[in-house]
Amino acid sequence: MQRNANRTKPMKLVIERAALLKSLSHVQNVVERRNTIPILANVKLDAQGERLGLTATDMELSLAASEPARVAEPGMTTVSAHTFFDIARKLPDGSEIALEQAEGSGEVTLQAGRSVFTLPSLPGDEFPAMAFEDLDVRFRVPVEDLKRLIDKTRFAISTEETRYYLNGIYLHAAKAGATSTLRAVATDGHRLARVEVDLPEGAKDMPAVIVPRKTVAEIRKLIEGIEGEVQIAVSPSRIQFMLERAILVSRLIDGTFPDYERVIPTGNDKAAVLEAKPFADAVDRVATISTERARAVKLRFEPGRATVSAVSTEAGRAVEEIDADYAGEPLEIGFNARYILDMMAEIDGGQVRVEMANAAAPTLVRDPGDAGTAYVLMPMRV
Amino acid sequence: MIEAAGRATIRRLPEALANRIAAGEVVERPAAAVKELVENAIDAGASRIEVRIEGGGVDLIQVEDDGGGIPGDELAVAVERHATSKLKDERLVVIETLGFRGEALPAIAAVGRLALTSRTPSCPHALCLAVEGGRPAPPRPAPGALGTRVEVRDLFFNVPARRKFLKSTRREGELVVDVLKRLALAWPGVAFRLEVDGREAFRVPAESEALLGLGPERLRLVMGRDFLENAAEVEAERDGVRLVGLAGLPTLSRNHGRLQHLIVNRRPVEDRLLRAALRVAYADLLFHDRQPLAVLRLDLPFDAVDVNVHPAKAEVRFKDAGAVRGLVVGALKSTLARHGHRVATSVGGAALARMRPNVSAHASAPVGLAEADAAFAFQAPVGGDEGPWVRLDGAAVPGPVPVPGVEGPLGTARAQLFDAYVVSETGRGLVLVDMHAAHERIVYEGLKAELEAGGVRRQALLIPDVVELEPPERAVLLDHAGELRRLGLVVEPFGDAVVVREAPALLGQAPLAPLLRDLAEDLAETGEALALERGLFAALSRMACHGSIRSGRRLTLGEMDALLRRMETTLYSGQCNHGRPTHVALDRADIERLFDRR
Repeated sequence: MQRNANRTKPMKLVIERAALLKSLSHVQNVVERRNTIPILANVKLDAQGERLGLTATDMELSLAASEPARVAEPGMTTVSAHTFFDIARKLPDGSEIALEQAEGSGEVTLQAGRSVFTLPSLPGDEFPAMAFEDLDVRFRVPVEDLKRLIDKTRFAISTEETRYYLNGIYLHAAKAGATSTLRAVATDGHRLARVEVDLPEGAKDMPAVIVPRKTVAEIRKLIEGIEGEVQIAVSPSRIQFMLERAILVSRLIDGTFPDYERVIPTGNDKAAVLEAKPFADAVDRVATISTERARAVKLRFEPGRATVSAVSTEAGRAVEEIDADYAGEPLEIGFNARYILDMMAEIDGGQVRVEMANAAAPTLVRDPGDAGTAYVLMPMRV
Repeated sequence: MIEAAGRATIRRLPEALANRIAAGEVVERPAAAVKELVENAIDAGASRIEVRIEGGGVDLIQVEDDGGGIPGDELAVAVERHATSKLKDERLVVIETLGFRGEALPAIAAVGRLALTSRTPSCPHALCLAVEGGRPAPPRPAPGALGTRVEVRDLFFNVPARRKFLKSTRREGELVVDVLKRLALAWPGVAFRLEVDGREAFRVPAESEALLGLGPERLRLVMGRDFLENAAEVEAERDGVRLVGLAGLPTLSRNHGRLQHLIVNRRPVEDRLLRAALRVAYADLLFHDRQPLAVLRLDLPFDAVDVNVHPAKAEVRFKDAGAVRGLVVGALKSTLARHGHRVATSVGGAALARMRPNVSAHASAPVGLAEADAAFAFQAPVGGDEGPWVRLDGAAVPGPVPVPGVEGPLGTARAQLFDAYVVSETGRGLVLVDMHAAHERIVYEGLKAELEAGGVRRQALLIPDVVELEPPERAVLLDHAGELRRLGLVVEPFGDAVVVREAPALLGQAPLAPLLRDLAEDLAETGEALALERGLFAALSRMACHGSIRSGRRLTLGEMDALLRRMETTLYSGQCNHGRPTHVALDRADIERLFDRR
């Protein structure tokens, strides 16, 4: 510790609590609760010019943000991210926070009003930096489009680690007829979600990449409540999101995403159009009866109507009928209720179109009011 | 030094050397020699066999029997290789005796100093034949009783390599004890006595046909005192194959399998098939690494089993392995289902022992057969041994619910301790019930029944999982595809791999490749998809754990009684899903003894 302490450089600044919290609350999120490398539990503080930079990393992704501050002595250090955040959070509204580290000291002093905290620090130059390498392709995406790409697919991301290449969103440029699109796809092997937006200028040559689940979650939090555009830079191994006050750099999943287009059915000839909300509500109600973990519900389509039902030897039976625009042969098909509900939560239009082949084959679900989205569900069989 | 000395010529080995090499196959240590000699004595019709060893059997092995003896003119032939009086069927199909190859005596004679003294009823005196290093001297008259006495001194005196690899004298002696105990277990009609370095190691009398003809004295000797009290009788017969035995209660388990004795046609054997059958039958009752106790005796027509597959005859091969496995698994499962709510009395005994720290560990008096029977009767479920709720497939069927107030085997609830245990009074004493463990098993059996009734739901896979497997793994999985489908797993061949099309919905997104490999191993070894059942049951077990009452919940007497009554009608309620006991019984007599009232 002593050896480290001698290398620390002085730093001194004052920052408003509100400004600090705005960035720190995002940045500390990246820090894992448990770390084998001590410095990864810390946030890097970098006082330069009239700003305080805050950086955290888990070696897979790195989030840097900065806020205006009154810097008396420019310098760099690191302190425990979660402790620093908790202190800042508990300080009263409107506080001004003074941070100071003496040259050669292994401690940072934090003072606000009559509170003084002394936190152990590790030298800032030992903080692992994620190289901002030359990223081949740069383009700008409207925040609304980015939200859409994430929201409509992330529920289908797999959490099962052996098929690691499914643990993220597959982002790539695609062609939908004559128009070029930026497309996001996620699947866990039981269901799949696909959504596309207009291809931004400059994204034509982007490599197809798999963005890890944690990165997806972090960038989604960062763009909540903001407007405008996000600049994205991408190479085959990295992706970088640049916002006004923050930069997120992340490694990408090194793997091959399955050829998803092959599993999206194109010839399903039994189509039903349902009112979205009554359908979702019926599934939710009927699934109350499915006590087991895999909550199975059965859908029966007949001309003019659909029946949602569930049977449990312990909890009884449930049946609910809903209107359906269906003209084909009667068809019975089972699904995991949770899969239906996850998907229905992302259907914004008033209606949903269910295209089926038979009780064993992939079923395609579309939002008639949103041509850019498609969902595939595999049936459950009893 | 190894020199590059050109090519060595091929030459025929001298006979003595060849015999010594062959002997090593049969007699690899003193215990093996003892086994061969005692089997000879049994084949000679002995009713009493005495064994003495010194120096772990290396210095001396002496086996004396009261069997038929060997006529004088056959003594010299007896020690020649491949000479035997036992093999009547030269096709090796019907082998009725323990020995048949004519190898034991010459093998022992080749590696030790052998003296064979024998007297037949028609001869006025015994004859003694001495053999050293394979060369017999002419027989000479000697004193001796009716029967045969074989003495082997200086075992391996001419095979230093073998001697070097022997374990300590003590360990070799223990192995002799083990071998003889196993033979004693297989032959209840023969009295055995073993003397180690001049001291009696054990002695068992010839026993009658009590307790399925298994011999309670030797069971107690080999399996320990707790076993008889805490085992259930197994009996089954099908197509000329007869199984008898005792299966230990799940709560009497060990962390090793050494107390699993398998006897096939009176031959103690190590058999993977029978061990696997035990594993299958206890699969849902024991923790993964625990092993049940059991003595199983299988008698089947001699031509339905091949004993000539192992030099020391430690393994056998069944003609119809599937049928034998089915019989054993079925019999064990139905026995365990009938006795599933029992908890080993040793659990209660251990608790009592803790309660009297000041009294020297005087264990309770040995339990006689009558008491064991009484224990069985007491522990028997309501409705007798063949209650309507017993189903061999392991599903619980709702049985008759006893009228409230009428006491079942688990008695009447009196109080709750620490918000976690129910105290109940029975006709015989008191019972302590771990309410969470007990309720967990009840909920679990309910979920299992639901699964069996409703079928296993299968989630079809959008991206079928291709799993690379070794050819034998792949073959065994595809052979059992039908059964796997019933359990929710649909596999199909895919080039050299298999592809999983549908998986049990209950397993969520669990990785399939490791499951498939475990399954292939189970199927190859036991013929049953244990890993898959285990996976499904583990998912149920987690649900059961969440769905059952926890400690800290205060119950009314009515709720406690209801719990006791449901335990009595639930399969395997003697242990929770993790193999822990759900209740402990303390006898009134034992409680009274705590207060010196007895």
